[in-house]
Amino acid sequence: MNYEEQLKLQSFLDGELPEGDAREVAAWVARDKQAAGLLAELRHTREAVAGSDQAVRLPESREFYWSKIQREIARLEPAGTREARAFSLWDYLRRLAVPATALALVAIAGFVANRGLTGGGGTGVTEFSVSVGEALTYRDYAAGATLVWLSYPADNEVAQNSSSATLP
Amino acid sequence: MNYRVIPLGLLAGLFFLSAWLVPAQTALAGDVKLEVYLIWGTDVAKSPDDKHKPVDNELLEKLKKLPLKWKHYFEVNRKPVTLVGSDPSKVTLSDKCKVEIKHTGKSTIEVSLFGKGEPVVKGTQTLPKGETLFLAGNAPDSTSWLVAIKRVE
Repeated sequence: MNYEEQLKLQSFLDGELPEGDAREVAAWVARDKQAAGLLAELRHTREAVAGSDQAVRLPESREFYWSKIQREIARLEPAGTREARAFSLWDYLRRLAVPATALALVAIAGFVANRGLTGGGGTGVTEFSVSVGEALTYRDYAAGATLVWLSYPADNEVAQNSSSATLP
Repeated sequence: MNYRVIPLGLLAGLFFLSAWLVPAQTALAGDVKLEVYLIWGTDVAKSPDDKHKPVDNELLEKLKKLPLKWKHYFEVNRKPVTLVGSDPSKVTLSDKCKVEIKHTGKSTIEVSLFGKGEPVVKGTQTLPKGETLFLAGNAPDSTSWLVAIKRVE
């Protein structure tokens, strides 16, 4: 017996089958011992369970009863939620988190940009203007050194030291 | 969205923000300490002037990495300089070589070099701690002069 046939027997017992189907099932049960056995077992089970359930009688209609429950839930929920939120620092921080994170990202971007301009990251800004001749600038980032080479005429050198014979 | 990750990002952001703001303020408020050198570049191994001494290793290493052809560098003069606020500081390195340095904020300095009292070059340079600015040019007999400004603090 397959599952569909078992369900058909259950429907037959519950009186849910159309008249034609019910007659067919009755004939099938009459000639099939296995079907008759299962039907008897189902009937016994229904009788046993039916005696254990006790019906609850409501003082008012079902709809009115549930509407009372619904109104009570609605009355209690906002107050409970407000109370919980008043003491929840986490919720407060969570609301601040998104704009604060955005601000932090802007600060990081500014930090990176600023470090780049001020040379904190190894870069340097060099701006020189010469009065005489020309200037060439060379920077070695690894050494942290910047050279400004001036085509200042050697005869007019600036490094002359009167105490030295070697420096002109 | 994972809200547990956000406070970590927030803390990291605040850390970087403080790292950005605090040094910027202290750099503006604090003193800038420099060492200013007058250097002679030559191929001669020993300077005729006994007062000259080879430059220290730190400076020599920087010089070696620059596109300069000279084999030896001698320290002719060295002056410590402390820049307070934005007041300019004048440094006399030789009879004809003077430098005026001014702190213009954060890590930037303004340098003016004078030769025989006349302005030679003027400019600005970001100079974080440990970095060095060299102003240099040719000198007679295929030698060179260099003014090195090293940020100490």
